[in-house]
Amino acid sequence: MSGQALLRLEGIVKKFGDFTALDGIDLDINEGEFFTIVGPSGSGKSTLIRLLVGMDDVTSGEIRLNGARIDQTPANLRPTCMVFQSLALFPHMSVGQNIEFPLKLRKEDPAARRTRALELLDLLRLPRDYYDKRISQCSGGERQRVALARALAFDPEILFFDEPLSALDYRLRKTLEKELKDLHARTGKTFVYITHSLEEAMVMSDRIAIMKDGRFEQIAVADEIYGQPVSRFVAEFMGEVNLFALDTGTDGTLSSDILSIREGARLSAVTPGASGLLMVRPEYVRFAETGESYDFTLSGKLHGEYALGSRIQYELETPAGMVTVEKLREDRLSAREGDDIAIGFNADVTHFIGDTP
Amino acid sequence: MPASRSTRIALYVYGVLVIFFLYLPLVSVAFASVSRARYLSFPIKRYSTKWYGEALESSTVSDLLTTSLSVAVLVTVISVVIAFFGALAFARYQWRYRTTFQKLILLPIFFPQTVLGLALLMWFNSLGVIPSWKTAVVAHLVWIAPIATLIVAIRAYSFDPALEEAARDMGAGTWTILREITLPLLMPGLVSAGLFAFLLSWGNFPLSLFTTGADSTLPEWLYAKMVSGYSPLVPTLGVMSVVGSFLLILTALAVAWLIRANREARAAQN
Amino acid sequence: MNTLDRKLGFLSSLPLTVVLLASFLAPMVVVALFSIMPAKVFSLANMPDFSAYSVFFSQGYYKSLLWSLGMALASTAILLLVCWPLAYGMAKVFGRFTLVLTIAVVMSLFVSENIRLFGWVLTLMKGGLIEGHFRAFTGVGFESPLYGVGIIVFGLVYVYLPFMLFPLAQGIAMVPDDTRQAAYDLGATRWQVLWQIEVPLAAPGIVVGSLLSFVLAAGALAESKILGGQAVIAIADDIETAFTFGQNWPLGSALSMILIVIIGGLALFGVSKVDLDAIMGRKR
Repeated sequence: MSGQALLRLEGIVKKFGDFTALDGIDLDINEGEFFTIVGPSGSGKSTLIRLLVGMDDVTSGEIRLNGARIDQTPANLRPTCMVFQSLALFPHMSVGQNIEFPLKLRKEDPAARRTRALELLDLLRLPRDYYDKRISQCSGGERQRVALARALAFDPEILFFDEPLSALDYRLRKTLEKELKDLHARTGKTFVYITHSLEEAMVMSDRIAIMKDGRFEQIAVADEIYGQPVSRFVAEFMGEVNLFALDTGTDGTLSSDILSIREGARLSAVTPGASGLLMVRPEYVRFAETGESYDFTLSGKLHGEYALGSRIQYELETPAGMVTVEKLREDRLSAREGDDIAIGFNADVTHFIGDTP
Repeated sequence: MPASRSTRIALYVYGVLVIFFLYLPLVSVAFASVSRARYLSFPIKRYSTKWYGEALESSTVSDLLTTSLSVAVLVTVISVVIAFFGALAFARYQWRYRTTFQKLILLPIFFPQTVLGLALLMWFNSLGVIPSWKTAVVAHLVWIAPIATLIVAIRAYSFDPALEEAARDMGAGTWTILREITLPLLMPGLVSAGLFAFLLSWGNFPLSLFTTGADSTLPEWLYAKMVSGYSPLVPTLGVMSVVGSFLLILTALAVAWLIRANREARAAQN
Repeated sequence: MNTLDRKLGFLSSLPLTVVLLASFLAPMVVVALFSIMPAKVFSLANMPDFSAYSVFFSQGYYKSLLWSLGMALASTAILLLVCWPLAYGMAKVFGRFTLVLTIAVVMSLFVSENIRLFGWVLTLMKGGLIEGHFRAFTGVGFESPLYGVGIIVFGLVYVYLPFMLFPLAQGIAMVPDDTRQAAYDLGATRWQVLWQIEVPLAAPGIVVGSLLSFVLAAGALAESKILGGQAVIAIADDIETAFTFGQNWPLGSALSMILIVIIGGLALFGVSKVDLDAIMGRKR
């Protein structure tokens, strides 16, 4: 089955009355991949995952799993399984009964079920005596693991995740993100994960899809999305960013109302004559000492300084608006608020986002 | 702003007074039931349990109890089944006429029961059905099934629809979900709905009045004796009926408490 | 709203819908039809006329209706005043005592209302629990307050207290504590908080409670019969008499129709105003 996508979406449209939640989604997900769909709330990502597991019906379009259409198949007959945002653990069953639930539905015999449940407890690093615990006795992190174990007991072709970590506190979330990535590696299953958190997506995923207004803005590996966003939306959604309007002449020369541009500076991979935005991430912006020379320079007043743990963020008031610069703590600047500061960066750390005609 | 101490105390006192006010008439009935005199007047001069003895021996009384009990049991069973599904339609499933349905089932609760009873009498008459305790069951259901539905609906609102979706996602069909997930989770609501249904039917009078035909329930008989031809058995049977209801409630509360205590004890062990 | 939910919602509503269609709406149609039959017939196979409705005015039945509505209004107003502090306590002040109170009030509901009203007769009559003991101690008796309009309203207040109390407590519980605190913080007085914050936010509970009490009290029968003697005739009493002693189904039906239209109109208006999902504690 090489070369063919495990899950293929073609022209998926979902309407609720007059409102179009999903507006023609095409997507291929490969076997064994950790694929994350990221978007702000209301972008349609939850709607999409509900269609994929079969909890809502598509308005039009096709969903294929291993080449076979499944969009008309009810949820209980699809070989996929989801870990819910609320986890949806059954409060009236023990941990063991929860994990065994999908096996019980398949009428497997009790002894085999129990063996499998205990294996899964081991796999998720839960003590075996949790088998008889009630759900209400488990902590947040333990519940996550039980929900995962239950989904794995189902042995799905694809495991879907609907923001299962969003209710947890920061530290626990960080731990579980890594565990999840690790679990993905150990089980070799295909994971499809949705979240509104860029960080979560970056830590775990092989590929990321950015969603906006019921469409995908960009589908790519994490580094590419971070470094080469296709639109202003993606650039801003993926963290702090500085954007400057920029025009290129037909001969490749660059011009800007705000930035001072070094003679002969060029951007590679830009169609001559295009206009758009020049993007530079805060960590690539340098404070320009006298005598240093950069492709692009700009000066402004220091507006504020914010500690971000290992890094320090500076905000500069410039003719282009606020510009954000990040430095490691050891490279802390000795300037004060209100001081004039010059900044600069070279073309190789920038990315050009062309205006879409 | 937390209420001041004096306000709190005043509210507690007020609450106790309201309870006293609610139960004062029952105290009078209880005293009356143990007065020996045929024609009651306070203060009671001689106490006796002779009316209880008479009540227990009377065949009228046992007929009344049988009728009331038959009606109440049937009403309870049917109401609970209707309420289980009705509550899901009310609270759980998103379907087109849900809000209309919600409003429809409120109407009988808002309705004057006497008028409802009379309307049913004419309806049965038009259908050629001779009223008996069985028609009273239908009459009670019109009022009690919606109430039972509301009680179960409160429970249905409080559970996460994702639980059912998760079960479906893992391969469960509709009936399996109802049996394995929905029914156990709604069980506390169903038990209280059943309790309410039984007790409301047991104590109902305005609906029974016109729909029981030749049969008679206990509240009907009591009413008849109150408005004409007083019998010293009225307070006695009243007390017996009340005590019966309260014993049932207390048993239910005790069982609920035991189940919870047992669960907590098991949890503590683990 | 997916297809499956739509199908299951419809199917699971069926049992109750069928019961209500067959034994609530159908009887209403029969009442409506009987109300336009000539006097004293027991079958619908007659030429319709509206004589029963004209009797409503000519023979003074409208007085009973006005009495019933007036007493219902009075008892609803009194119930609002009586229940507000208690509902407030249940929603915001009492901890475990709320449970005790709830159980106590609900248990009283299970006692047939005749028994409870009869208990008031025993309590308030001459030679009853109060007067009897008072006279035994002091040697002087007093007149019984029974058999008057006042005592009927008292009976209505007593019987329908739970129907006001619980919706009201639910309504007050829906008022977030921080809005009240914010109002005090901004310098509102206790009265301003009550009128500007609590009453508007608890409005659904107030509407449901008032409506329930009013509607039930307007159609009440036992209070005026047992406590009120014949001081005033309630409309429900007239209806019953028309059916039983009068053997005049069309008259009884016409009187019922008038009551049904008033009550049904109010009830429909009220339930269309409130969001049941919010009141009953939807989590989504």
